[in-house]
Amino acid sequence: MKISRRNVMKASMTIGAAASFPSLLRAQASTGGEPVKWSHGVPQAFDPYTTTDVDIGDYAFGVYDMLFGLDSKLVPQPQMIGDWSASADKRTYTFQLRDGLSWHDHTKVTAADCVASIRRWFQTPGGSLVQQRAQDVSMKDDKTFVITLKEPLGLLIDQLAQVSTYPLFIMREKDADRPPSEAVITHIGSGPFKFNEELFVPGANITFDKFEEYVPRSEAPDGLAGGKIARVSRVIWNDFPDQQTAVSALQAGEIDFLGAPPADLYPVIESDPSLVLEDLFKSGYNYFLRMNCLQKPFNNVKARQAMLHLINQEAFLRVINPSPQYSRPVKSLFGTGTAYTNDANTDWYKEGGDPEAAKQLLAEAGYAGEKVVILDPTDWGEAHNASLLLASEMRKIGINAELASTDWAGLVTRRAKKVSVDEGGWSIFISSATDFQFGDPTTAAWMAMNGEESWFGWPESAEYEALRAKWPDVETLEERQVLAREMQQVWWNYASLISLGQVVSPVAHRKDLTGLVGLKTGNVPMWNMQKG
Amino acid sequence: MVYYILRRLISAIVVMAMVGIFIFLLIRLTPGDPAAIIAGPTASEQMVASVREQLGLNEPLPVQFGQWAQNTLRGDFGTSVFAGRPVVQLMKQRMEPTLSVALLTLFVSVVGGVTFGILAAWRAGGFVDRALTVFSALGYSLPVFVVGYFLIYVFAIHTRLLPVQGYVPIGQGLGPWFAHLILPTVALSLPYIAFIARIARASMLEVLSEDYMRTAAAKGASPYSMLYRHALKNAGAPIVTVIGLSFAYLIGGVVLTETVFNIPGIGRLVVDAINNRDYPVIQSVLIVISGIYVLINLAVDLAYTLIDPRIRY
Repeated sequence: MKISRRNVMKASMTIGAAASFPSLLRAQASTGGEPVKWSHGVPQAFDPYTTTDVDIGDYAFGVYDMLFGLDSKLVPQPQMIGDWSASADKRTYTFQLRDGLSWHDHTKVTAADCVASIRRWFQTPGGSLVQQRAQDVSMKDDKTFVITLKEPLGLLIDQLAQVSTYPLFIMREKDADRPPSEAVITHIGSGPFKFNEELFVPGANITFDKFEEYVPRSEAPDGLAGGKIARVSRVIWNDFPDQQTAVSALQAGEIDFLGAPPADLYPVIESDPSLVLEDLFKSGYNYFLRMNCLQKPFNNVKARQAMLHLINQEAFLRVINPSPQYSRPVKSLFGTGTAYTNDANTDWYKEGGDPEAAKQLLAEAGYAGEKVVILDPTDWGEAHNASLLLASEMRKIGINAELASTDWAGLVTRRAKKVSVDEGGWSIFISSATDFQFGDPTTAAWMAMNGEESWFGWPESAEYEALRAKWPDVETLEERQVLAREMQQVWWNYASLISLGQVVSPVAHRKDLTGLVGLKTGNVPMWNMQKG
Repeated sequence: MVYYILRRLISAIVVMAMVGIFIFLLIRLTPGDPAAIIAGPTASEQMVASVREQLGLNEPLPVQFGQWAQNTLRGDFGTSVFAGRPVVQLMKQRMEPTLSVALLTLFVSVVGGVTFGILAAWRAGGFVDRALTVFSALGYSLPVFVVGYFLIYVFAIHTRLLPVQGYVPIGQGLGPWFAHLILPTVALSLPYIAFIARIARASMLEVLSEDYMRTAAAKGASPYSMLYRHALKNAGAPIVTVIGLSFAYLIGGVVLTETVFNIPGIGRLVVDAINNRDYPVIQSVLIVISGIYVLINLAVDLAYTLIDPRIRY
């Protein structure tokens, strides 16, 4: 066998032809009715009554429908409901379903399905407030059901529409009859998109098909309210484990939408004329640290207040998201953009933090060098970076801070332990929630302070809880805003949760993908968008 | 020979049983709670407890082990805690992409590595040999993700010749299937080509200096005949060993490639399962992978008898 120049040329041409063959095939295959492809996390669990997983929201909004939907101003509007009324004493609410509602298995949605779904929802934290007040939920006829209350609940419609935690998605009666501890594994809803079981690859991708029988409302789409019109026949979610690859796929036109591009790649996206970086949510994720109020040193209020003064939110925001136009400090318990955001008792906030005040408070707390264990989730970049900075800042004022590196799965196990750090407990962990969720202290678990019953960290304040208990019965927005100020006054004095700042995650999409609906909840529904 | 194979298969079962016990204990002693993951980051303790009860995770460890061992012996690998689907079904979905990448990479690595190694040995000290040294250094030292991103930039974003990511099942067409595998295969095969080429070169150099090779040359054997008929057969045993090892590493080592090129393979399945503490998936996939390792080792041992007639079991 002789290696000649001619043979080399021949081989090169053959390899070149072989290499270009696939791209020719791809070009032919890409014509015709194209699905819209998203880079989107694939939920680990699909029953919206068993999980608060952030990825579940967009799935459930597409597959299921709700009785009421929040519009873009967060005002509840009828969605599956056609007509509703309340009795004069505000104890009996009658709801009638609108025409044309059907399940993805082609059966009709009935009031029985709604009653079963509401009863299932009652067993979750999302429905517990209404459950406490409800005397009965019953079906009147195929299209009508009634909620009877023991005492009036001004927030009833808001609660039926709430999407902060465990929203009320309507399921078939046979699915909803299961207790929430038994996950529903079918994907039969009555929403505008059907789950394509055949093409589903768990953990990798989901395919949704337009539900042709869905009858949208006649109103214009507005947040989660109005007409949910599926303008594309198919939407495919791909779970990209690597965001760099996802951005490359967006640039190459292999996907149309990327939910949360990494901040360091914003310039790449902005410099590509075929792409758009868009702040759809007009809101963001609030990062916070939670202290264990049962154990030393944070069982002492002065030590917790020291942390309030120590935190330099601007510094934390720089390590969480290096893009300044997409981050801002958070001073209010009720976030930055909710109806209840206020400035009561926020004198503690100082740009750059106040380590001297923190030192002083720490001394007043009698801190004697007890070990402080920070749970550090190394598989969550933002929280990991913030944990490293936190440990460094705490050491600077003399706190014996120690990082306990773990993954998120390990963190959620350890944070449930109420014992001391020497017995495997913890002192601090970092988490986040959407700004929107901070607008509802009845459903946001971390906004309760009912001792060992409350969320991890177990703060206890009877004064605060007495105020929080008033929340559902306050009639007007203005009165609730006053109540919010009173709650915040107590909250920051107690200081069980410290804000690290808010990060807004813009979405990236191809220019020819239009009509995306942004929600303050941080969700992007699949309806209304169109391609080309 | 048959007795030898039987003995190896029995020892394989023992090895897999030990692997199973080790994995079962390891993942349960590692902190983490699938119930807390399912319930989500802001779930209350009550909701987590309720999910844990449903999953049967409150049962004592020996009871859980007994149930798992009994089911596994019956061939029932259980159901994924998260996907709610049989683990066998998940593995079937993920096996094709992984095997496609692994087998194609193996093919490219063997053809490229052996050819490169033989040529380098044949012209020891020459241009090809020096090129192999440089290539080996690069192949070993460049991480897969660096090569991967580079290939994506050049061939997918800049020239648009190949897709950036994803996998198309072979049933949907040979062209798209192959197109999606070119970049991952190239990225993954570089270190294996370098590895196999180095071993092939060393083995061939040793054989080429033997007396019988000089005799063959003196008798007028052609270079082709000398290299492939006389030398390669005698240098084959270490090369086959390396190829076997490479395949075993490939099956377990495609995780990074699957991540960079967004291929829904077995590597990503097991990484996701570990992150989520999806016990049935972790246990089953690792047992299957350990079985593949054992079988590959057996195949390599048997291949020796074909290459070298002096070896008998």
